[in-house]
Amino acid sequence: MIEVTSLKKSFDNVEVLKSIDFTVNKGEVVCLIGPSGSGKTTLLRCLNLLETPDAGTIAIGNSRVSFNSILKKREIKEIRQYSGMVFQGFHLFPHKTVIENLVTAPITVKKDNKTTVKQKSEQLLEKVGMSEHKNKYPDALSGGQQQRAAIARALVMEPEVMLFDEPTSALDPQLVREVLKVIEALANEGQTMVIVTHEMNFAKRIADKILFMDEGYIVEQGEGNQVITKPQNHRTKEFLSLLEED
Amino acid sequence: MFEWFSSIQWEYLYDFELAIDSLPFLLEGLRITMIIAFFSMIFSLILGIFLGVARMSKLWFIRWPARIYISFMRGTPLLVFIFILYYGLPVIGIEFTSAVFAGIVGVSLNFAAYSAEVVRSSIMSVPRGQWEAAASLQMNYVQTMTKIIIPQATRIALPPTFSIFMDVVKGTSLASVITVQELLYSARLISGRTYDSMTMYITAALIYWVVCIVIGYFQNRLEKRYNRYLSDAQ
Repeated sequence: MIEVTSLKKSFDNVEVLKSIDFTVNKGEVVCLIGPSGSGKTTLLRCLNLLETPDAGTIAIGNSRVSFNSILKKREIKEIRQYSGMVFQGFHLFPHKTVIENLVTAPITVKKDNKTTVKQKSEQLLEKVGMSEHKNKYPDALSGGQQQRAAIARALVMEPEVMLFDEPTSALDPQLVREVLKVIEALANEGQTMVIVTHEMNFAKRIADKILFMDEGYIVEQGEGNQVITKPQNHRTKEFLSLLEED
Repeated sequence: MFEWFSSIQWEYLYDFELAIDSLPFLLEGLRITMIIAFFSMIFSLILGIFLGVARMSKLWFIRWPARIYISFMRGTPLLVFIFILYYGLPVIGIEFTSAVFAGIVGVSLNFAAYSAEVVRSSIMSVPRGQWEAAASLQMNYVQTMTKIIIPQATRIALPPTFSIFMDVVKGTSLASVITVQELLYSARLISGRTYDSMTMYITAALIYWVVCIVIGYFQNRLEKRYNRYLSDAQ
């Protein structure tokens, strides 16, 4: 589903991604963990080209891009259609109600039939437990509610892969669970996902594969929750032990 | 203190009778003021939107002319600009047959620069996350602009735009120097004849104020409408 090879990205001479290789198979849940500044979020944002990598290739769904020359608009569009993104800061459209947040993209981008889109959106809102709030504006919702609506908004475009960028980091502790439950339900349905997270217990429970990143490299990766339960690399061990001290 | 107090010419402080008598004449001036103001608001807004977008262009040959234009208009007095238009341009063969039209052109071209800055700053104040969310939903530039950015930028742009509208109304008074018989010109005419400057200019000031109150009323109504999606909106 996703194949990343020798991916590199710098911001003003700071090399954030040094050479990244990994694959995600269909139906897999991959968690990216690691200290702040390790490049997890940048890597995730490269997958739907919110950041343009400097070198390497990304293959996702049926399209493949190499970052040797300047990207064409068509290539960006092609890559993006395979993924949906959930942001740390939700980024719902504040001037639109929850249901309008969902229907806008399918109607304007895909020119889908309005009634069908609305029906599908309502089903998705039901699934994330947001039906009763569908006519509210984002500003009237809690962070957890906003994030669940944002997940539904990404899902309505029927992406092959869902990308989550620290989906619970901006939430009050008591709201984290409701969002994680929604993501877990998606995982159980077989949705392919890449999740950047600091929730180690969640990653342990849900991941088919865990990648540990540090200083722009994937330092360690392993099937299931091995990376967290039986870390091999000394930096992984160090990172996990720091978390336990809390 | 007492000397100053006793020097006040009470009979010239405010002559209600004169004010009422000259009201029809002043309102005729107001009509001209409003014609200039109305067209200037529309033209400066439209031109301002184009200039504001041009100012943000990635292409230098679009961005730089817009920048220079905005800088010049913001950096020169409207009065000087009106003089150049009306008394200067005939030198190169451009002559305004109508002073009112010259007024509209002068005020519009000048305030377009301020509008452009409002357009630019309000588009830039929509958070980056909104662009990214739209991009991740595969929306292109035009779709993102029309569906996501402009509706939010409009809310932000409302108060400064209405400030510009009020400035436009007041700015039209400068057209009096090129013989446009607008409100201030009319007031000056009567005051010259009656030597009662205080009454005439205070009356003119009050009329400008009323116009701006009406504009402020529309601003409030629009702001309420655009703020309805904020839960702390009044």
